[in-house]
Amino acid sequence: MPQADGVLGVDVGGTFTDFAAIGDGGVRVWKRLSTPAAPEEAVLAGAGGGAAQLAHGSTVATNALLERRGPRTLLATTEGFRDLLEIRRQERPALYDLEPRRRPHVVARGDAIAVRERVGADGAVVEPLAEAEVARVVTEARARGAEAVAVCLLFSWLRPEHEARLAAALRAAGLAVSASHEALPEHREYERASTTAVNVFLQPVVRRYLGGLEARFPGLRVMHSAGGLASAAAAGERPVSMVASGPAGGVLGALAAARAAGHEHVVTFDMGGTSTDVSLCPGGPRYRSDAEIDGLALRTPMIDLVTVGAGGGSIAALDAGGAMTVGPRSAGADPGPACYGRGTLPTVSDANLALGRLRPDVPLGGAVAPDLDRARAALAALGEPVAAAAAVVEVANATMARALRRVSLERGYDPADFTLVAFGGAGPLHACELAAQTGIARVLVPRHAGVLSAIGIAAAPEAVERGQGLLLALDADAAEPVRATAAALEARAADGLRAGGSALAALSWAADARYAGQAHELRVAVEQPAPDAIAAAFHAAHEREYGFAARARPVELVALRCRAEGPARPLPPAAETGAGDPDAIVPIALGDGTRAVHAPRAALAAGAALDGPAVVTQPDATCYVPPEWRATADAAGNLELTPR
Amino acid sequence: MSEDPARLAVWNALLASAADEMGATLWRTGHSPNIRERRDFSCAVFDARGQLAAQAAHIPVHLGAMPESVAAVNALAPWSEGDVAIVNDPYLGGTHLPDVTLVAPVFADGALIGFVANRAHHADIGGMSAGSMPVASELYQEGLIIPPLKLREGGATNEALLALILRNVRTPEERRGDFDAQLGALRTGAARLEALAARHGTAELARWMAALLDYAERLTRAALAAIPDGDYEAEDAMEGADGALLPLRARVTVAGGGATIDFSGSATEQDASINAVEAVTRSAAVYCVRCLLPPDAPSNAGVFRPLRVLAPEGSIVNARPQRAVSAGNVETSQRVTDVVLAALARALPERIPAASAGTMSNLAFGGVRPDGSPFACYETIPGGAGAGPRGDGESGVQTHMTNTANTPAEAIERAFPVRVRRFELRDGSGGAGRHRGGDGVVREIEFLAGAGVTLIGDRRLIGPPGARGGGDALPGANALIRAGGERTPLAGQAQLRVAPGDRIEVRTPGGGGWGSAAPDAP
Repeated sequence: MPQADGVLGVDVGGTFTDFAAIGDGGVRVWKRLSTPAAPEEAVLAGAGGGAAQLAHGSTVATNALLERRGPRTLLATTEGFRDLLEIRRQERPALYDLEPRRRPHVVARGDAIAVRERVGADGAVVEPLAEAEVARVVTEARARGAEAVAVCLLFSWLRPEHEARLAAALRAAGLAVSASHEALPEHREYERASTTAVNVFLQPVVRRYLGGLEARFPGLRVMHSAGGLASAAAAGERPVSMVASGPAGGVLGALAAARAAGHEHVVTFDMGGTSTDVSLCPGGPRYRSDAEIDGLALRTPMIDLVTVGAGGGSIAALDAGGAMTVGPRSAGADPGPACYGRGTLPTVSDANLALGRLRPDVPLGGAVAPDLDRARAALAALGEPVAAAAAVVEVANATMARALRRVSLERGYDPADFTLVAFGGAGPLHACELAAQTGIARVLVPRHAGVLSAIGIAAAPEAVERGQGLLLALDADAAEPVRATAAALEARAADGLRAGGSALAALSWAADARYAGQAHELRVAVEQPAPDAIAAAFHAAHEREYGFAARARPVELVALRCRAEGPARPLPPAAETGAGDPDAIVPIALGDGTRAVHAPRAALAAGAALDGPAVVTQPDATCYVPPEWRATADAAGNLELTPR
Repeated sequence: MSEDPARLAVWNALLASAADEMGATLWRTGHSPNIRERRDFSCAVFDARGQLAAQAAHIPVHLGAMPESVAAVNALAPWSEGDVAIVNDPYLGGTHLPDVTLVAPVFADGALIGFVANRAHHADIGGMSAGSMPVASELYQEGLIIPPLKLREGGATNEALLALILRNVRTPEERRGDFDAQLGALRTGAARLEALAARHGTAELARWMAALLDYAERLTRAALAAIPDGDYEAEDAMEGADGALLPLRARVTVAGGGATIDFSGSATEQDASINAVEAVTRSAAVYCVRCLLPPDAPSNAGVFRPLRVLAPEGSIVNARPQRAVSAGNVETSQRVTDVVLAALARALPERIPAASAGTMSNLAFGGVRPDGSPFACYETIPGGAGAGPRGDGESGVQTHMTNTANTPAEAIERAFPVRVRRFELRDGSGGAGRHRGGDGVVREIEFLAGAGVTLIGDRRLIGPPGARGGGDALPGANALIRAGGERTPLAGQAQLRVAPGDRIEVRTPGGGGWGSAAPDAP
């Protein structure tokens, strides 16, 4: 069992738990099979007893939310708004569904308590919260037998007194409480209530899990959705901040590898078994805070990424009109693609195997011997197996290309200006063809393409982000409130970081702003939390993202955000790659008989180039080099692919 | 004839991508909240004959109406490169006046290869009230009517036409910005189409556009094949200004793999804005069939081929020019959906849900703040969804022809002199049944300044019907509550003045129940 010295990054996935140790000895990586019933078992077994600091990316919060595994939770809210979590934003999830349904929230209809009180839009008290009313709400909450209460009163982000008094009384009565002005002091009552309710709902499960791990790994660090690490205590207090953390490690890992290789503007392309995550990183990650997970609004800072198209397990079929479809149905882990030996329906992985892009003699995921006959039999349902396989890959690529182009253009970018960083089990198989279809001229396959998330987690800085809603016109009167808010935010963010035991290395600012009258805001990075700087940054960002700036129009500051980061932990210089072994490069025939070569990754020395068609296999990923492309190995162990 | 399944899927993605990217450009560069926040626009690609080849799915009511815009502007042929046509005339390819459509021909090597078009809901297009959605009795009151005209000719903008339009709307700068966004989106779509022609050849592009129409037709026919041949009829009603019921009838005839949807017997057109133009009726009818197709099926002219929509001229579902139409788009379209689905339910009782709220419960208010600045707000209020074979109906949700979001109380109260007193589910308003209909909502708004208020909401007299023995939902109810507490019921369509302290209370209909609540006696 490898012993870690510095930081040990652990990423728990559905099939494998990945480990990356970063220390004086460079980067070392390994994998274990996951133990979904008790994920910590694989973590403990894989981590060994080393004294390393464990940095953990976990889906425990996400899974608990998806399964609605948590205590009965009440919502205490202003009278007139008891059904906030039922009505939500009143939209239905699918336009052409005769029976559209939203997933139930974590608070059942009827589990809301209406509170007599009201704060107005200017922050003035319209109806005071009486002590007798506080007592009545506490009595009712106890009488209902719930363990947890989310408190979300109207305009509490502007004037928190009522909410704070009620929350204190409920806590004193022994209930677990999240108050919305603490969880998310920003306007929009549904999103704030939803975030607060999910937060208090997830606390017990997440605290139990992290508590168990921290007993074995003191100083445990946990990945959060905004691409930073937090202490176990902080994560247990704000489990909602972990819900979208899964793919964040991959984005950080891809960015770190790309930067080390000299690429600044990248699109990360993480194609796994069931889905594909894409993140546009123009010089660095983009952040957002308006996510919806399983139909529930969650406002928590996160790396902006989009789940698109298909994964290796996506099932191909013919529809009633005679067209091929790939996904969204997936063979998942059980039964999995046909080539894994149990499934019978044709998937993208089966197609790659039949085409010879996955090699029949290279174990899948390093563990399972691929069953080519079974894959071909499954594909036969679609036609002649090799032709059907080519069709499946073509359709999967077209689906992903459509999504990638749309998400780029919506954010004001042309994918042609980016480098595609491909990872995940299936990313490097599809990267060149996807690049060709979206006008991208360069693909990078990082050295550790199959365990990039674990590396990203290990290399992530400690980070705390705090925000405050303002809804303030950015005029001459704004300077003082902005200054006061910034000072309070800076203290909260820095204190949060220090409470986790980290030194403060960097502070950065962002503002959510919009033109007066707009309903949606744009998050922009700002150098200084001052009105002029914010307005200037906003106009510039609006021009770039939306094609115009209305410099004469008043700008409204919706929220101010402060991010405090601990010291960066750049990846150590890559260990020497081997001298290469040209003799290990062997001729092969692809599925359709095309002559190609197969190169184990270790066969390529730094600087070596390989013209397609070719297949390069690494222990944790396989890369397909199409006929018109050339792969070049760099000194850090990455493959860079460009059209010839 | 069957095409190669993979090429079909790839070409479907390529053409849908062109429509998507037009949408992304329009959304990204649009100036008004209607475009940026509510995404009230649609983009489409057409073949050289003007047949719809791909449409990005945003707004159901645009579904059947975009092809008519292209047909209408095609009267302006011959086309040359750099031409762009504009139209909003509801009787010549439009829906209601705020929806303005731009169409551009696309060329490759001098030959016409197709058209690109987009339609956007403009926040104001003139007329008797801000927002151009008044309680009107004739079309001229609703705003500026733009017949099919060339806004750009050979790349040069018709500045006289643009000046005329901008002088007739309340927010000309925002309009100019939105027109620029629409023009930019057309360029994006045209560039994608030109690139496809350059890469694959114009013949190949034309061949695959045709193949995709055939493909969508096959999907539609496959869905219709699940319906036993026969005549299926249903009747419902809109509520007239004086409380009279205006019948709306649909007969769906399924035969020979096609379907005819005939609205004969529906009420005659009205001196009110409740009239739907034929394009709106067609959109609502096609929406119902579209709901029977796989979720990712393409929206193109092939879907329409097996369908015939017959709406008698001069009726409430095919009004003649001059008639006001703004509520037809938002209210009558909902009833068309209800009655077509009710007819289909006779054929597919185990598939079609009970009626949903059947109204968008439109509330508009505006006035002048104490500081002298004007304000205007428009919102649609959700209701209950009909229960169906799969379960209870959703409560407090947008149904059928609309899916726009609400404005949070914490936003609306910051923007306008109002206080939201209540926005909660209206318990018990959904129909009873084995599966319960969704509940409507109660929305109560207190005015902190004097204002003019317009309410347009149907289903205020008769509740949405249940299905398969399920109970009917409660109809909606509107009321004015004066500052002193005096409560006055309001009609479904009402225009009134309110004073500070007054409240408007809107109770929206639930959805119908599905199936008998009690098990059948043995």
